[in-house]
Amino acid sequence: MHTLAVYAREARAQIVSTWRTPQFLIPSVALPLLFYGVMGLGLSKGREEVAHFMLANYVIFASIAPAMFGFGAAVAAEREAKLIELKQIAPLPAGGYLIGRLAGALALVGASVGLLGLLAWFGGVKMVPWRWAATLGLGLASAIPFALIGLNVGLRLGSQGATAVANLLFLSFCLFGGLWIPLNMMPDWFGKIAQVTPSYHLGQLSQMLSGVAPMAEVGRHLQVLAVISLAAMAGAWTAWRRQAA
Amino acid sequence: MSPSSSPPPNLSLPVAALSKTIKRRGATLALNGLDLMIRPGQCVALLGPNGAGKSTSVALLTGRLRPDAGEAFLFGGDPRDVSGRGRMGVMLQEAGLPRTLTVREQVDLFRGYYTSPRPLGEIIRLAGLEGLERRRCGALSGGQQRRVQFALAIAGRPDFLVLDEPTTGMDIDARRALWTAVRAEIARGCAVLLTTHHLDEAEALADRIVVIDHGQVIADGSPEAIKARVSGVAIRCRTRLTDAELSGLARVTGVSRDGGRVTLLTTSAPATLRELLARDETVDDLTVAGASLEDAVTRLVGSSTQQRQAEVA
Repeated sequence: MHTLAVYAREARAQIVSTWRTPQFLIPSVALPLLFYGVMGLGLSKGREEVAHFMLANYVIFASIAPAMFGFGAAVAAEREAKLIELKQIAPLPAGGYLIGRLAGALALVGASVGLLGLLAWFGGVKMVPWRWAATLGLGLASAIPFALIGLNVGLRLGSQGATAVANLLFLSFCLFGGLWIPLNMMPDWFGKIAQVTPSYHLGQLSQMLSGVAPMAEVGRHLQVLAVISLAAMAGAWTAWRRQAA
Repeated sequence: MSPSSSPPPNLSLPVAALSKTIKRRGATLALNGLDLMIRPGQCVALLGPNGAGKSTSVALLTGRLRPDAGEAFLFGGDPRDVSGRGRMGVMLQEAGLPRTLTVREQVDLFRGYYTSPRPLGEIIRLAGLEGLERRRCGALSGGQQRRVQFALAIAGRPDFLVLDEPTTGMDIDARRALWTAVRAEIARGCAVLLTTHHLDEAEALADRIVVIDHGQVIADGSPEAIKARVSGVAIRCRTRLTDAELSGLARVTGVSRDGGRVTLLTTSAPATLRELLARDETVDDLTVAGASLEDAVTRLVGSSTQQRQAEVA
């Protein structure tokens, strides 16, 4: 009971803190909405299939920034301010700090993905209810691998370095994962890089779930995502242990 | 003290201890077989020059570092155990606060970590944060932020309080207010480990001073004993007693004359003064100047360094 209450308080503090940081909140939530409004709805000129296809990619895009920056890279700043040190000394249950942060980041991703879905619905995208749920749900779940990757960055680099590297990863994931521009419009070598990005595999799954692509190679996509997530988790675990040593 | 109260503090189990601890940090030997024991109700000031091993000692006792050799104990267990950490409050040097949370939110968050925390209002009052509760931590002055750090440290009604340079950035009033609050914690039986560069702070709060240098304890005792160990106290006066008579007074370690005044060096001013005044009722123009703790610590560290150099040579 006590442990759960601590997690809940940590998460709440995290959400409150994020809410009061507009310089983070606006770009990470508003940017995907703006992009989707212009590229997905505006440029498609009302063609549902284009708006639909782009929504599948954009739910992944919308989760990357809040997960990677909000959860991961921000840890670097708190580490520099010795905030984490104080929490490691305090009698927090194991992992309380990280679980709280993760819950806070998920809330933000939820808001970001939810608003995107709402925008798409108003923009005329049509899906049966379970596809809506599956598509938006995958967007939310995709926060996990991105959060873990961001945490690696945040635990290993100083705050300035972490922001720079996280930005680089963020842009590469969007570009090479084919989230902004479909990969078949890009040179072949783009597709090769795409294979190692979580965003590509999540984008593919999202297209299948939202019904714009046939189900294919689901197992392989899930395998790659599992490997990336586990590697990121192991990396974050070692980094966390090392800073405590 | 009532007869039913707990046994005298000195007989009970130590609150925190370092036993023959060795810790390397990079190329330097930060702790070189350091022994340190803090008992309930004691306020121990850990003094020494930069790089002496103060921060490393604090890091070992708070479980942030593990010794390479030797042992660290917190309430008889591993400093990493949650049970021990729940009885400890820590104010870290240069620790930050989340800029976007209010004082009240941050203190309340830390209260939540403890199973039986102090009421929020009491913490705010003890830390002198009334009127600042709704202020965001990022908008506080350096001294106010230190007060919030103190509030976090006492939130769990700790039995052991670690204060690492607690009054850095505070003005005089704020420092005195913090001292009062720390004394109140000591009075209710809380043990305190204090590291500070302000020797007056150590003198104001600590009942025991531990001076460390190069990762070893070079002096350990009450503030008075530490001062006495180095130079003692200087009594200056006009007296009709002879040098031989003066040398015979209790605790006198040296006699010198300067014009009409004599200077007596003593390890105990009260003992010497009692005899002096009893023997000579004409004593006049009397001053007693204590060696400052700062002088004492500086000389102790200086002589330990000389000794070290002599050993090397």
